[in-house]
Amino acid sequence: MNPQVAHSRGRSLHSLGVVSGLAAGAWLGAAEAPTKLVTVGFSPFLISLGMVLGVFVARWTVPVALKGTSYVWADLRDKPHLIVWGVLAGMLWAVANTLTVFAIRNVGLSIAFPLWNVNSLVGVFWGWLLFNELRGREGSQRLKVLGGATAIVIGACLLAYATAAHGVHATQGAATLGILAALGAALLWGTMYIPYRKAYISGMNPLSFVTVFTFGELGTMFALAAIFDGGAANVLTSLDQARPALFWLFLGGFCWVLGDLFQQYAAKYIGISRGIPLSNTNQLWGLAWGVLVFGELAHMAGVAQALIVGGSLIMIAGAAAISLAEAPADEWREWHVAMERECARYGLDRERVAAALTGSDPASATRSSRRWWELLIVAAAVAIFVWLAFQAEQQAIAIDVPWLLILAAASLVLLVGGGMLLWKRSRFG
Amino acid sequence: MKRSRITATLTDPHLWIPVVVLAIGVALLAAIA
Repeated sequence: MNPQVAHSRGRSLHSLGVVSGLAAGAWLGAAEAPTKLVTVGFSPFLISLGMVLGVFVARWTVPVALKGTSYVWADLRDKPHLIVWGVLAGMLWAVANTLTVFAIRNVGLSIAFPLWNVNSLVGVFWGWLLFNELRGREGSQRLKVLGGATAIVIGACLLAYATAAHGVHATQGAATLGILAALGAALLWGTMYIPYRKAYISGMNPLSFVTVFTFGELGTMFALAAIFDGGAANVLTSLDQARPALFWLFLGGFCWVLGDLFQQYAAKYIGISRGIPLSNTNQLWGLAWGVLVFGELAHMAGVAQALIVGGSLIMIAGAAAISLAEAPADEWREWHVAMERECARYGLDRERVAAALTGSDPASATRSSRRWWELLIVAAAVAIFVWLAFQAEQQAIAIDVPWLLILAAASLVLLVGGGMLLWKRSRFG
Repeated sequence: MKRSRITATLTDPHLWIPVVVLAIGVALLAAIA
């Protein structure tokens, strides 16, 4: 497929990528909400492992129901070299997520969150350097993306500044380590988008990539917990003791899987330099859950509230600028060069990869056969969630039910709307 | 996986960026934990 044709298809896929990025923001933000319910006192490794276990189990629910395992298996057999990249991305995620738990413990969520959201700028840099994103002669679109990404970071800093006055009492040494941990997480998560983009310019389906990703994630997280948290036996005992809180972490993991799938589709259709800043609007959603549902900042002064509104508006403006920055034909040609490079290196079928990159992979359009045991897998994963739900203990946290319903409904609208659009345009390709 | 793809993966200059960053992350974690 020549770059001109790809560009004309790409124009129609731009809105698909933008909707995916925004839906990712909603669900990645919602993933933070259940973790707020966890009583402080568990080890950071245990909290991170609980979430990763939830992510692993959740991966075998909706994603399996969407495509089935035969399709994923065929996709992996076709591009086995990407298994290494998927596992590597999962490892990066696990280490970064654990660093964020330490950062939250030392400096609080309100400071740590915007610091690790700098990952979007790291992602923009790698997208430009390695995958020819934001290249070409037309500078206005590039400016929109860079301006939008910077606005999102500035908005995040304002939100942090406004909320920082509440409850951070760490010593200077602990605070420095907390900030380093948050910045480290930004570097790791920003770099994790290299494997994401690598997979998509090689024609891999996001559902296949997420499958491999969760194995890397779970293996690394278990190893980290065993090494740093007193051995494997101790980890298993701690998990058993944390059972009353595990459901909330699993629920966070479930929301995260949905958010990450949307993020993967955004990275596929509009690249990481546009997709990642859009999905980083998850901070707005995290804030909305904290403020509206948990009433975290109810006693905040007027100036701080104005800063929060201002910071949120700047973030929204940044996201809007990126949404309008459609990749011009020049840039599509540059993407095509990066795709050609991967095809040459790994001996991939150029036509097929080009089709997959524009959401029209023939293998994705055909209805893959389903096996009886896929139903068993989905049923087992759902049963684990139900079992944990019965063991979950009600947490002593006040919740504003009307706002909870409103935010849940808004997230569901994005889930259904984004899902339908992905099905219509690409059959989840 | 064919041998040529293994070689192509191991000699892919992009591979070493996430590997080095992962090592930095683990070292940071070891310092903080």
